Amino acid sequence: MRPDSRGLALAVLGLLIAAALSAPLIAPYDPALPVGLPLKPPGPDHLLGTNDLGQDVWSQWLWGSRASLLIAVVVTLLSTGLSWTIGLSAAMWRSGEAALTGLTDLLLALPAIPLYLLVVALIGPSQVHLMLALGLLSWPAFARVVRARLLAVRSEPYVEAARVLGASPMRVAVYHVAPATLELLPAKLVLTVRFAIFAEATLAFLGLGDPAARSWGTMLSWAFSNPLAFVNGSWTWWVLPPALAIVAAVLSTTWLSIGEDRDPAGRRADQSGLRWPRWRTARTAAGVSPG
Amino acid sequence: MTSLALRYVLLAAAVLVLNFLLPRLLPGDPLAATAEGGLSGALPALTSQQQAQLRVTYHLDQPLASQFASYVVDLARGDLGWSISRAAPVSQLIGERIPWTLSLVLTAVVIAATSGAALGLVAAWRGGHWDQALVGVCTAVAALPEFLVATLLLLALSIGLHWFPLQGGETLFAPPGQAWLATLGDRIVHLALPAASLVVANLAAFVLLSRGAIRGVLAEPYLATARAKGLGEWRVALRHATPNALLPVLTLFGMRLGQVLGGAIVVERVFAIPGLGLFAFQAIQARDYPVLQAIFLVSSLTVLLANFLVELAHRRLEPRRYAA
Repeated sequence: MRPDSRGLALAVLGLLIAAALSAPLIAPYDPALPVGLPLKPPGPDHLLGTNDLGQDVWSQWLWGSRASLLIAVVVTLLSTGLSWTIGLSAAMWRSGEAALTGLTDLLLALPAIPLYLLVVALIGPSQVHLMLALGLLSWPAFARVVRARLLAVRSEPYVEAARVLGASPMRVAVYHVAPATLELLPAKLVLTVRFAIFAEATLAFLGLGDPAARSWGTMLSWAFSNPLAFVNGSWTWWVLPPALAIVAAVLSTTWLSIGEDRDPAGRRADQSGLRWPRWRTARTAAGVSPG
Repeated sequence: MTSLALRYVLLAAAVLVLNFLLPRLLPGDPLAATAEGGLSGALPALTSQQQAQLRVTYHLDQPLASQFASYVVDLARGDLGWSISRAAPVSQLIGERIPWTLSLVLTAVVIAATSGAALGLVAAWRGGHWDQALVGVCTAVAALPEFLVATLLLLALSIGLHWFPLQGGETLFAPPGQAWLATLGDRIVHLALPAASLVVANLAAFVLLSRGAIRGVLAEPYLATARAKGLGEWRVALRHATPNALLPVLTLFGMRLGQVLGGAIVVERVFAIPGLGLFAFQAIQARDYPVLQAIFLVSSLTVLLANFLVELAHRRLEPRRYAA
């Protein structure tokens, strides 16, 4: 991806984060109070108009960004931390290996949405429960990837050398082995941010969000539960802002990671000494072949 | 082979135990919720006498071990409990709904996997603008959550253009004595948009994955050999490159298929398809815990089954790695 699109992605993400951080300062109204006529189109009083209860959509959007991005950040940190801790332990700590891989396999086999439905239905919807449930249940896939990567590394000569030199198991794991997994990190971060934002919005859409909390997901679910929104055209200022925010947040994080993307075909070609110009392969070869 | 089967039997047992323990370990008590008038305020309050009676009905007054024993015995008889909101056996309610979900999701995942693999092949093989355009579109589509895709399709094609019915799995009050062909056609028209939403939601992952896999083999010497033999470009792409790139696509296919019963909940909710997903949604609204638990159990076991089949297929397709 070209550098300018990474710059754009950074700018979009920066704006969203700035909006989330400054919500208490710049939100003109209390998002929970009816402050105007219902379904007022955007205008000078209400930048993004009002919803069917007369709540200010712009204020709701600002506070909603705060909640949605906070959920994304907390879930991503929790899930990434767990993925690496458990992946690293399962690879380096022999006596815990069986139990940890078993747990990983089991959680990986559980279908995500029905599990969240059951858990959230049992413990009740709240933002904290949601963050905990999403974070504590979304680590297995990458724990497995991290472990697989480490299995290849843990018997490399330089790791043996560190052991022989007397490094403690902890030091070997953290300083000598773990860096081999760093290139997995961008993919994990992007996928988990996307997962957390989608999951929050989807659960809210299914009616499992915290009704008192304001987030992009609960804004959308409130709007979708009112069939009038799509008949009288009010969806353009009521549904679009949170929907576009979800798309913008996910797209910009994805773009940032594509910038990190390496070219596997090119790398392979270098190693084997055979370099096929990637974009020409098919056509050049077709010109050569008689068929 | 036997060790593989054994591992999956153990996993299935763990799922059964988890399904039993989860509601008992997590904070929150359905009976307490009904005592407060229900979380949604829609359920009737229960007297303490009624609560005690319910505890006896659900064996909740007995020690955990005997609760587990009766749970296993019930499961072995195919008894998944009694739906609170529908006043019917849960197994019967679920059995009625599985065909809808299964046909919807199977169709959608098969279409998404085949067309996604084909598009990925094109992107990797042609490279250049084709590649950039396809990857760009896929990244954009992957940034849309499923419920937005479904709602957009519904708004544009059903409400806007009137091409498809608004909701439901079939026309209610269909003329009596309708030919089976007409019934089938009616169902296909009803399931077209939900299936399309699922295809759109799943397509990007398949395209990107197969593109990556094909790009990984582009520089392999055996492709040069195939070309040197004078094979046409199509034959090289389809017969020599694609089979070697299919394993990851197969894995993803199995994973998505495993999400069959759980994954359709959003789409079924938007289009009101009377499948398991909509049932799960309704069960949450009604706090129908036996139903939620049964759906969780059935969908977990489906995932396990799908994973098992994928691993078997892997062994057939790549015997080298498992030869020992």
